Amino acid sequence: MPHDSSSLDKLLENPRLWRGRNPAQGTAGLASGYDRLDRHLPGGGWPQHALTEILTEYYGIGELRLLMPALAALSVGDSAEEAAADFAEPGWIAWVAPPFQPYPPALQQWGIDLSRMLIVRPRSNKEVLWSAEQALSSGTCAAVLLWPERLDDQASRRLQLAAEKGASWAIAFRPLAARTEPSAAALRIEMQANASGTRLSIFKSRGGQPVVLHNVL
Amino acid sequence: MQHALALDTPPIARRTTAATATVVQRLWFCVYLQNLSLEASGPSKEARVVVEEQHGVHRVLLACSQASAAGIQSGQSSNAALALMPTLHIEERSAVREQQAVEQLATWLEQFTSVVCIAGRDVLLLEIAGSLRLYGGLLSLRQQIAAGLGQHGFEASLAIAPTPLAATWMARAGRRACVRDPANISSMLRDLPLSCLDWPASICDSINAMGATSVGDCLRLPREGFARRFGSQRLLQLDRALGRLPDPRASWRAPERFCADYEMTEEQSDREVLFAICHELLLSLERFLLTRQLGTQRLRFIFFHLRAPATEVLLGGAEFERRADHWLDLLRIRFERVQLPEAFIAVRLQGGRNQAMQAETERLAFHGKQSPQGRRYSMSQLAERLAARIGDQSVHSVTTVAEHRPQRAWRLQGLLGGKVVTTLSSIRRSLYRPLWMLPEPMLLAAEQGCPLHHGRLTLLEGPERLETGWWDEDGIARDYYTAMNPQGLRLWVFRNRSRTASWYLHGIFG
Repeated sequence: MPHDSSSLDKLLENPRLWRGRNPAQGTAGLASGYDRLDRHLPGGGWPQHALTEILTEYYGIGELRLLMPALAALSVGDSAEEAAADFAEPGWIAWVAPPFQPYPPALQQWGIDLSRMLIVRPRSNKEVLWSAEQALSSGTCAAVLLWPERLDDQASRRLQLAAEKGASWAIAFRPLAARTEPSAAALRIEMQANASGTRLSIFKSRGGQPVVLHNVL
Repeated sequence: MQHALALDTPPIARRTTAATATVVQRLWFCVYLQNLSLEASGPSKEARVVVEEQHGVHRVLLACSQASAAGIQSGQSSNAALALMPTLHIEERSAVREQQAVEQLATWLEQFTSVVCIAGRDVLLLEIAGSLRLYGGLLSLRQQIAAGLGQHGFEASLAIAPTPLAATWMARAGRRACVRDPANISSMLRDLPLSCLDWPASICDSINAMGATSVGDCLRLPREGFARRFGSQRLLQLDRALGRLPDPRASWRAPERFCADYEMTEEQSDREVLFAICHELLLSLERFLLTRQLGTQRLRFIFFHLRAPATEVLLGGAEFERRADHWLDLLRIRFERVQLPEAFIAVRLQGGRNQAMQAETERLAFHGKQSPQGRRYSMSQLAERLAARIGDQSVHSVTTVAEHRPQRAWRLQGLLGGKVVTTLSSIRRSLYRPLWMLPEPMLLAAEQGCPLHHGRLTLLEGPERLETGWWDEDGIARDYYTAMNPQGLRLWVFRNRSRTASWYLHGIFG
């Protein structure tokens, strides 16, 4: 019946409705540098222009190593298509409220261009979110890493929108407890480690499927 | 033999006229602000007078037209003036305000000529011989200046003469004269009263007592006697006015840095009023910088309060900038955080160091592509916005330093105020370094010589021996190891070789 299909269309248009699989909107992902991870991410890599959440118990279990190859690629701006255009400017990487000091010699070893790194140390959680949103929507930052104390549903939605607006990649690092909280992030990964190795659990992936991966790093 | 002052010394006079073909003839335009002390305090519809204290009594210095019509004259005591007109507004004369007004006018007059002089309290001199052609002749230039002065709210007496002093004296005497030929100066000066010379009253009195009442009378006096009685300076002035001696003038230069005040009659605490005032100040800053093709990187707003000490707000930019909207945007961001302790009564805007700004050309999009999402603002603008809200110290960049000591192998770099130095040293060291660094090495507990951090650490790699820096206070002798704890955290730990062999945590591999 025509009446039914129009109401279904209306329902599908609602942006609050999240559909597990939506190949039509799938854009090419940003290669993570880890083949096994890429195979399980929609678009074959990190979702671009969107918010990614990484949930860890401790900082330093490998969450940066997971991102480094992709960040290095963004920092140098090696995309061939972009290089052809006049505006092939490699992007900046902003670090908002990092828990420790990012160590420049190590970053350089990973291939990050230090002259395009911005470190912001706001004093309150509100300012962390504000700074991240500014950096994301400015259109100059290729990636924005942030360590918020709290990130509620509304704030994650704002970050997601800012990332879309500024064509930037937002990565929020959060504690494991945040798993039960709703979030607008396109990709949510839980990361755990022990002496025998790391365990990645992709429990929300827009256009992909939940999966658990062992020893990707 | 005595020569009369005005004795038309034919040889010199003829030589100068003959030389006009080669020597550029100067023409001085004098602006005499006769009502400066009244006008400096801004326009007003009410009857008012400016008073000045003389021997302990406030006496009227200048009365506006309404007050003059009521019979108030300069020299009256303020009480007498009030008796004549009870509604009269009495203002104290402010030399500072007058000077500010004159400098403001001088800045404005700089558009007509490169030589503007402030000659005394209320006299401005412009050398216009070179500007006549550009501004469409003497009459047109005079009209433009007169109209502009009217718009600024100043009434001026204007005169034009080949020497600065002659122009000044004619303007003071209120003659709307224009002399272009130096040969005509003495005839123009002849019937000016002595008062226009601005000489001390005692000298004018004694000249009067000799029976000389005009400049022309003075010119007839013998030179040597005149110099002996009234000083060689006065003789020099007369010679300069007649063009017999050169009269060099230093041209006024507008200050390199911008500073402007906005004063109010009553306190204000409304945000929007504050922004409106700041915008007005910023617009005048923009005009100031635009005429000089400059930009500035730092601005200081000072908000004055009646009771509390003044509040300062510093704004910094990553690049030299002059647009008022840009600065207002930063100020608005800053005011999301800053609170004024109380209502403000005046605002001052000071500009920082200026630098020439180069116009940037827009990029041509040859490939017919637009930038992916359209850049909203540049990196420097982002850094400015962040710094305006969360503070200059909280936004920075990093760079590496060629140094073996881990804690010294890098440093912070400000993004504002200086250019980010691009490090070209992309030397890939074979030695693996951690991504996270602790601000200070953390002492680890140990158990039977084995370090602990949330459990026993297993040493994976090492040692890497770093022993350097013996030449300064901060020498190190350490063995670095890569270690892993039961939670899977990869750590960078070290043991001091020289002192007690305790373990320290220095970094996390992340």
